Amino acid sequence: MDALSKLPDAMNELLDGFMSHAIVGDTTVGLTQYIFWMCVAIALLLIVMFVFKKKQAQSLVPQGFFVNGVEYVVEFARDDMCKSILGDTWKKHFPFIATLFFFILFNNIVGIIPGCHPGTGTIGVTAALALCSFVYFIAVGIKRKGVWGYIKSLAPEGLALPMRIMVWVIELFSTFLRLITLAVRLFCNMFAGHVVMGTFAILASLFFEPLLQGFSAAALGSAGASIFWVLILIVIYLVEILVAVIQAYVFTLLSAVYIQLVEQDE
Amino acid sequence: MGVIGYGLGVIGAAIGIGLAAYGATTSMARQPEVQGRLFTVFILASAFVEALALIGFVVTLMSA
Repeated sequence: MDALSKLPDAMNELLDGFMSHAIVGDTTVGLTQYIFWMCVAIALLLIVMFVFKKKQAQSLVPQGFFVNGVEYVVEFARDDMCKSILGDTWKKHFPFIATLFFFILFNNIVGIIPGCHPGTGTIGVTAALALCSFVYFIAVGIKRKGVWGYIKSLAPEGLALPMRIMVWVIELFSTFLRLITLAVRLFCNMFAGHVVMGTFAILASLFFEPLLQGFSAAALGSAGASIFWVLILIVIYLVEILVAVIQAYVFTLLSAVYIQLVEQDE
Repeated sequence: MGVIGYGLGVIGAAIGIGLAAYGATTSMARQPEVQGRLFTVFILASAFVEALALIGFVVTLMSA
């Protein structure tokens, strides 16, 4: 097939487009396209939240689709992530958890609009987010038990000493693994999803090309295949919308679980 | 070659997520009232399993 032979080149171009490119300055000091779209997402989030606050203050009972919608999402973050995981201590951690959730959600949603990039599609941003979560739950643990107490509490009480040291080492390792998996999970889901979408978009355009150059039976057949690729693209796009919400949910939920792990044991 | 290795590695993650979904659906069928809590646990479990597959994805991209 002629169209398929052009795929590797187009794929390289696509992957190159997903690498960080500087818009202003260079990649060390400057603005890459991911950070640009992250700023767009932050601006959008600020607008939505301030308009929501203003509209909500207008009447005692929430009115209209917008206010009710935002309230529903906030309540979802409060009940499903905070109250059900953290129990009684939810009020203390709700601001942090809600901030994480809305930041990631808006970044992901901006990312699935065609032509935009998700702010979370680069490892730098997700690593920073994971570091925030990591530092937060360690700070909570240290605040509750003191530095030495927190270090000791990694391993459960009541084990024989050699066993306890072994468990402690494994727990320490898994604590640092959380940092990596949080960052890599979010990054990979957004990155891989967009690469897959881009691949099908490229396939659709490559198979449609012969029809533009001249009308023939083979060209018509390949254009028919292009419709098939577009259908798959639409399905993947819908899945990506789902993934965008679920990944924001998973990241926040895992942060809540890690906080709960240091909050709970007495 | 790396892509073949990634495909092999994903088999494990696929079995893991499949098992989690199997357990979640069967227990939801037995006890529909715990659906909300089960969904959270299921998402958590599959997130842990998925992380392994995704680490494989990154390693594949890095070595390619």
